[in-house]
Amino acid sequence: MNNISDFMAGDHRRCDDIFVDVEQAVASGEWERAVAGYAQFQSAVLQHFSAEETLLFPAFEQKTGMSMGPTQVMRGEHEQMRELMDAARAALVAKDADDYSGNAETLLIMMQQHNMKEENVLYPMCDQHLVDQVDALLPQLQHAIQK
Amino acid sequence: MQGLLSFEQAPPISAPLRFFVTAPVFAILAGLLLLWSGPDLFASRWTPATLALTHLITAGFMLQAMLGAMLQLLPVMAGANMARPLLVASIVHAAITPGTLLLVAAFLTYRPLLFGLAVGFLGVGVTVFIAAAAHALHCVESPSPIIRGLKLALLGLGVTVSLGLLLATSLGWSLGLPLVQLANIHLSWGFVAWGCAMLAAVGAVAVPMFQLTPDYPGWFGRGFSFAALGFMCLWTFADLAGWAGLSTLLAVMVVLTAATFAVLTLNIQRQSRRPKLDVVQVYWRGAMLSTLAACALWLAARSIPALEDWSGWPFLFGVLLLFGGFMSVIVGMLYKISPFLVWLHLQNLGRGRVVAPNMKKVLAETDMEWQMFAHFTAFALLLLAVFWPAWFVYPAGLALVVANGWLLRNLLSAVGVYRAHLIKIESAAPGQSERR
Repeated sequence: MNNISDFMAGDHRRCDDIFVDVEQAVASGEWERAVAGYAQFQSAVLQHFSAEETLLFPAFEQKTGMSMGPTQVMRGEHEQMRELMDAARAALVAKDADDYSGNAETLLIMMQQHNMKEENVLYPMCDQHLVDQVDALLPQLQHAIQK
Repeated sequence: MQGLLSFEQAPPISAPLRFFVTAPVFAILAGLLLLWSGPDLFASRWTPATLALTHLITAGFMLQAMLGAMLQLLPVMAGANMARPLLVASIVHAAITPGTLLLVAAFLTYRPLLFGLAVGFLGVGVTVFIAAAAHALHCVESPSPIIRGLKLALLGLGVTVSLGLLLATSLGWSLGLPLVQLANIHLSWGFVAWGCAMLAAVGAVAVPMFQLTPDYPGWFGRGFSFAALGFMCLWTFADLAGWAGLSTLLAVMVVLTAATFAVLTLNIQRQSRRPKLDVVQVYWRGAMLSTLAACALWLAARSIPALEDWSGWPFLFGVLLLFGGFMSVIVGMLYKISPFLVWLHLQNLGRGRVVAPNMKKVLAETDMEWQMFAHFTAFALLLLAVFWPAWFVYPAGLALVVANGWLLRNLLSAVGVYRAHLIKIESAAPGQSERR
């Protein structure tokens, strides 16, 4: 795994896996397991956002000069997902399965279409433009996203 | 490349929604047509009422919904931004809606003028859409499987509609073309090279994404649309050249290609990691099973002479493919896309000031479940009507009206939530939000 695309897309899949665990716990009424799993999910997603916003996006913006382009849109979508994650957590704490499922469904689609844009467009652009920085940048990203 | 991922380039909500709420109206008209024509409709696949019914579903329901969905999915799934999407949506919708109504009226009356007008409206609408979508897809730098799939599906749509326009012109002015042969080529291109190819391109992305399944195998993404289009081209050539043996062999390959998509989809859906089967998943699985049954029936009719001689088998095939297959999967996709769009646009307009209602508050799961029950009831009654028209055609027509009236109600209630919430946003900060 020596490019940005593979590493960051792999982290998307890790977040998906935790999301599924929580959904299964909610479906079987195991609220404690769901709350604990959700905390892990939210922390994994926030780590991912933070690694992008503080390391990957600034490097891309500096190299390409595109500060109001795709990275700006991605930052906006991160904000939308932060709000959705908070709403889903509140529903989970209140043990409201219907409200959780509405917020989780919305979050899932938002998250997946966001991932698709990153994996199909932005990450390949990062691989292309940051080819000379990848040896330094990749360990930093790996460190910021502690598995 | 600057605006590649820009939300601002995504179409305003009214662009796709106008297609989505028009689609069920055509299916309601199809139900009314069944009630009006009664059991006579099942006399032959070439009766005016049968042709009108088929086109209410294909050019009315399917084309509306699929063009609306494509308008929305191109930027998100393929990074292909259409220039001036609202203008394109307005022209296309304003052309294909009267175009389909005129075509249906033309079939029912056989007036050349109506065929001519239908050709004009549908020709303009579909050409504008294909040109705008092809331009957007052409501008994408790194072609992924979905882009290739959508390009080939657009080509399939172009051939389908061109053949359809040729047929309509020929019907209006008796050009002496081999109508039955051309009609079979026209419908095969519509089912496989347009419908199935577009569904496969979108499904390859949407099924793993919405249902958390494994991905389709790599060869599927690389080869499916080429195989579908390649076999269609070869079959068309062999059929027109009159090479009966080769034509049959290639037609079998076309049907097996479509069946491969259905089998693969059912197999990966079996591995979905979501704990509950929701409405959308049931719609998808029902659609794939019905498509598979349609493929099996087609192959059986080719090998069992007694079945091929039965005048009912094309009806059975049509009901399985159009109502059980395409209509089911389209309604399922509308139930994912429409509430998400309402949430997304409200979230963007009211950010930080008014919290947008989540998808299930935009459209409740129970409303979708009841509508789905009505849809599959209508489908079952239509299947029974093929065998016993006198008994079941009226209940089937009525059920089709109810199921699609319900779909329309559900979609309009989502629009109602959008409008009501927009007022809240505007009153929270007058003048700051833009009405879309």
